[in-house]
Amino acid sequence: MISKIINMVDRMKDAEDRWLESMFQSEPIADDGFSDRVVWRLWRRIWIRRLTLPAAMLIGGAVAIKPAMQLVLVGSRLLNAVPQELFVAPAAWISQLPIILFAGTVLVIGMLSARMLEE
Amino acid sequence: MLVAQAVSVQDTAAFGELIRRHQSQVRNFLRKLTGDLSAADDMAQDCFLHAWNKLQTFTGRGSFIGWLLKIAYTTFLQSKRKSKRYAEILDEAGYVAQTESRSYTPRQDEISDLDKFLAVLTEDERAIMVMSYACGLSHREIGDATGLPVGTVKSVIFRGKEKIRKNFDIKDHQYG
Repeated sequence: MISKIINMVDRMKDAEDRWLESMFQSEPIADDGFSDRVVWRLWRRIWIRRLTLPAAMLIGGAVAIKPAMQLVLVGSRLLNAVPQELFVAPAAWISQLPIILFAGTVLVIGMLSARMLEE
Repeated sequence: MLVAQAVSVQDTAAFGELIRRHQSQVRNFLRKLTGDLSAADDMAQDCFLHAWNKLQTFTGRGSFIGWLLKIAYTTFLQSKRKSKRYAEILDEAGYVAQTESRSYTPRQDEISDLDKFLAVLTEDERAIMVMSYACGLSHREIGDATGLPVGTVKSVIFRGKEKIRKNFDIKDHQYG
């Protein structure tokens, strides 16, 4: 008896659900260019994103070129004002550059090996 | 397959095909939620743009339409929040707000039985009932879309049905 009642309640619920489904159903909406409009907006966004950085670099470069040139000129004038003795010492280092580079490489490799051994 | 293609190579053509397949359900969902055709279509466009940005987060665990409707529902809620905030700003500025409330307001000349049913439901109930009965999502999928536990989804549906029965004096034998 109880199971019959449960079945009846289930059937009633099913009928109600089916009825609600039919009430909530509506005709499919025709695309009518909707998807094309979305894809077009998408394309526009993608291209705006792609072009923003190069455009900003171009504009920034155009704006910055004059002050940058002035900075270079000022820098070169400052270099002329620096005493010549200061350039002698670095010039002497240049001949020993391969040895310095080799020592640096050995040092880095040594440190990395030590770390690997530790791990 | 199409989703994977759209994600892997950022293929807009594949995504366009996905839009063509699902636009009807998404637009229907938002139309039923808002009662405003043009606002719903604007939201549907935004929804698909959001979907494109979030496509990589689709894991394939549930159905694609379930995932899309989740985004559509979020878009609807965001739009509602925005228009509410806009009304507040106008209010603060001393204007009488004429903004759309995004409540369910179908055109008076084309009110159907469904419109009457939807009008008695709260926003959450409307969204869940539409997802369940119009879009055919399972309770679990609705739970995923709305962020509610399955039990709550079931009780919201139960409450919605009760309201419809009560407000329109529908007896059990009248179904079908």
